[in-house]
Amino acid sequence: MATENEQQSGIGKQGDADIKRGPLERWVGAAIKNPKRAYRAMFYVATVFFLVTTLFPFYWLLVLALTPNNLISDMGLLPKGFNPEVFITMFERVPFHLYMFNSFVLGLSTTIIVLLLASLAGYVFGRLRFPGRSALMLGILAISYFPPAAFFLPLFELFTGGTDIVLGPVTVSSPDLFNTPAPMVLPFSALFMPLSIFILTTFYGQIPDGLEDAARVEGTTRLGALFRVIIPLSAPGVATAGVLTFISVYNEFFFSFLMNNGEASSWAPIVAGILKYQGQFDTPYNLMAAASIVGVLPVAILVIVAQERIVSGLTAGALKE
Amino acid sequence: MGDVTLEHVTKRYEDVTAVDDMNLAINDGEFICLVGPSGCGKSTTMEMIAGLTMPTEGEVFIGGREVTNLPPKDRGIAMVFQNIALFPHMDVYDNISFGLRLRKYDKEEIDRRVERASDIVQLEGMLDRMPDEMSGGQRQRVAIARAIVRNPEVFLMDEPLANLDAKLRVHMRTELQRLHKELDTTIIYVTHDQAEAMTMSDRIAVIDSGQLQQIDPPLVCYNEPANLFVAGFIGSPSMNFVDGEVTEAGFHGKNVEVDFDPADVGVSPGDDVTLGVRPEDVYTEDEQAGIAHPTKRIEATTDVLEPMGDEIFVYLLLSEDATTSMDDASEGMSDQLLMSVDPDSSITEDQDVSVVLDRAKLHLFDTETGEAIQHGIATTTTTSTDSSTPAESDD
Amino acid sequence: MATEQDSGDTLRDSSRSGPYVSAVRWMESLSETQFAYFLLSPALLILLVIALYPLIQTFGYSLYADQLTGSSRLGQFVGLENYVALFTGARDFALPSAFLPGFSSSFPFVTGIYSSALMVTLLFTAVSVLFETLLGFVQALVLDQDFRGRRWVRVAIIIPWAVPIVIQGMIWYLMFQPNIGFLVGSQGDPAFLNYLGLSYTPLRNTADSLFLIIVGDVWKTTAFMALLILAGLQSIDRSLYDVARVSGASNWQQFKMITFPLILPTVLVAMLFRTIGAMRVYGIIETMAGCTTVPSLSCLVVTTFNNSMYATSATVAFVTAGLIGIVVSVYIFKFADAEGGF
Repeated sequence: MATENEQQSGIGKQGDADIKRGPLERWVGAAIKNPKRAYRAMFYVATVFFLVTTLFPFYWLLVLALTPNNLISDMGLLPKGFNPEVFITMFERVPFHLYMFNSFVLGLSTTIIVLLLASLAGYVFGRLRFPGRSALMLGILAISYFPPAAFFLPLFELFTGGTDIVLGPVTVSSPDLFNTPAPMVLPFSALFMPLSIFILTTFYGQIPDGLEDAARVEGTTRLGALFRVIIPLSAPGVATAGVLTFISVYNEFFFSFLMNNGEASSWAPIVAGILKYQGQFDTPYNLMAAASIVGVLPVAILVIVAQERIVSGLTAGALKE
Repeated sequence: MGDVTLEHVTKRYEDVTAVDDMNLAINDGEFICLVGPSGCGKSTTMEMIAGLTMPTEGEVFIGGREVTNLPPKDRGIAMVFQNIALFPHMDVYDNISFGLRLRKYDKEEIDRRVERASDIVQLEGMLDRMPDEMSGGQRQRVAIARAIVRNPEVFLMDEPLANLDAKLRVHMRTELQRLHKELDTTIIYVTHDQAEAMTMSDRIAVIDSGQLQQIDPPLVCYNEPANLFVAGFIGSPSMNFVDGEVTEAGFHGKNVEVDFDPADVGVSPGDDVTLGVRPEDVYTEDEQAGIAHPTKRIEATTDVLEPMGDEIFVYLLLSEDATTSMDDASEGMSDQLLMSVDPDSSITEDQDVSVVLDRAKLHLFDTETGEAIQHGIATTTTTSTDSSTPAESDD
Repeated sequence: MATEQDSGDTLRDSSRSGPYVSAVRWMESLSETQFAYFLLSPALLILLVIALYPLIQTFGYSLYADQLTGSSRLGQFVGLENYVALFTGARDFALPSAFLPGFSSSFPFVTGIYSSALMVTLLFTAVSVLFETLLGFVQALVLDQDFRGRRWVRVAIIIPWAVPIVIQGMIWYLMFQPNIGFLVGSQGDPAFLNYLGLSYTPLRNTADSLFLIIVGDVWKTTAFMALLILAGLQSIDRSLYDVARVSGASNWQQFKMITFPLILPTVLVAMLFRTIGAMRVYGIIETMAGCTTVPSLSCLVVTTFNNSMYATSATVAFVTAGLIGIVVSVYIFKFADAEGGF
């Protein structure tokens, strides 16, 4: 309304009109005349919105962590008090460092197994022609579609020694591996390997044939050419697959939660560590928040350092399909 | 010893036979070119010599040793690749010494050999560069140095010059010949460029459809091609072919006649034959004095001229309905001839001319099988009066 | 001279022996197909033992009756009875939470949606994937712009994706615990979300919890969507936009006629991946509200397992896998054409 009036009376004296209008109206007027500005504004609004929504929860953790637990009630946007000792208390209450160590061991050992096996498989799928190639790739892809729940029961039996293994005339029960890393590392390896296989297939497939041939003529075996030439040249791809596998293991919940008794001495990862705080009698919200911050730090650093690798890997792996 | 022998070597993929019963005997120290159109099986043949591909049937010998199922590293060979294939993550020194380091030579020996190899290909002072800091020609030298540093019994080169620009390619040709002289090792060289094969090799092995067509010194392949394929492939521009029939009087084509006694050439009347003649063996009337045994005159009209500087290629139409399409060499070729004339010639486009062929340079092939029947058809019953009679023509 | 040295070269290889060398020689003598399967064998072995065998076994378990007492885990062979019982609702009374919703003849025909594992899972999947797609699309459009600090905005957007599920759950648990924050208050002191209709103990109320869990999931996984869509956006040939601009297309028209159709196949693939992920939802529920409050299918697998109902647990697990299989097939068959078209 106001704008219309202004425009009617403002014909021929644009400068006056601008001065009389409020800043918003002025901006709207300009935006209508120049849609680029409107797009620009939408872009800034969206960016700020996303930054706030993604980062606010972390800020909220910090607010809760720094507020002494007995003061946590009706919290506003600022901490009530300043209690950095919480980052020491959290380790005293629950051996969170041990849980994190376990998570690292599980993550690293899974990553090593996956990189090794997926490298061999990626070499085969990326560089060799053989009957059954596409059927096998499809099969491997299909496995990654299944929910962990569909594997859980038999694996639980297998790892708790409940499965009979028939070896010719002898029947032995499977070794009881519960509360060791194996019941987690093996399912992680199987479930996260398909993505790495697809990433490495893409990367290894792009190395020119001539380089592999040259290495073999110069004196390597086929496997030697893989390790001396193809893998070093695909280092970015290997890094991508490694980072994604590690993050996936660190993130995993299902097997991490169910395949151990929740004690740090039984190789339980951070899942159990975090939940331990929830189970404390005095519900220490500040400790939960502090532990969450500490638990996020490793992956947050990894994301900052390796964001290019993560982006390229996710897209390569998913779009390959 | 660097002699290489292939015995009944066949490579079949699921539905195609890439190499079909190849027999090849390459002598020690020989520079031999495997030449043929793309997809003819020449690269597969080389890969089987290198051990990068295993033959379906047959045996491969290197230096008298059977190597059919040995991996490449145990064959005493070195190879230079079309895409140069330098390891991009290693500097020049590491690239050249790669094979030596794999074989655990000691440091001094490696240094000595790398130095000598880089001397030979003139790479002094570039040993610590990375491949992506070098020009195409320099990279190719590194690839060659990597091959010679191990003193292999046999060098395999798979179109090593194909990715270089034209000028560098010609330069590298001479370099390779010099290298061959210096090293005196067997070189097996794959190329689709017949000019490369002609200029460098001791012998050319012409391959088509997975089969060996001919293996002979370059000039033999040029002057006495074993069949229609070799005749058409070797030499640029290509040989002219005229389809026709043998009569009592000799060759009878649509526009071209050559008389001879069929018995002398080993054909009988009624046989389908193809006459082949290279552009430089077609002469205008003015030039025919230079040759001893011309054929009858052939009436023609000039079509397009292609001046090359040292010669002019003239496309001749032999009949009025002839088309100028050169797309399909087998169709319509009987209606046209390509002729090479002296650059000083006053020939123009759309001019009526009569031309003769040099009988000594004619080639006669069996149209059905493509096999060569006769190279050079000497004068027997013909006389000079005969040759001065205007050739019969359809128009 | 050269030949002497090179025979030495060959000797170096052939004179060595020992188990390592003979293993290498054996490996090199394999044909390409044999070599391929040889190298694949460790990966295939682990997939066989850890993935394929359990899948088949799970299906096997689902064909037996539950055995709640005694030493053996499973009862007698009952064929597909477990599936029949599950889908007719006959099993629901024995389950920690029902599989199917109730049905009635009057409006709204379906009752107890929030206590049905199937409905909860489907509802969670549909709503979270929808919002993740929409927000992910906008995030991708933002990240596709060239601006200073883009790298850091991208990091900020990716980080939630990398947050462990258990911490994701913890964050939102702390956010929506009554009384500690400004979002959820108490009876006498309602806070922001209470005014919007949320109860005062949202994490004990199924409908409220489901809503909050969806919020938490959207927060974490939108980034995944955004990255895939961004990759699709960046693979669009920029010259197409020049062509459109020359033809006089507005920004909106460019989006409608170029960006959207070209990005659609990528969006569909990304949605497929998210749908598969969402149908497995478990960890965030366990951390935020617990499986008794929000019974998803994966929750039901675990709770029945904890109640020693192994056969039922296996049946639910396989039904979940089957539902995912159906979704995957629908996507593949329905959208294969659309994807092939571009």
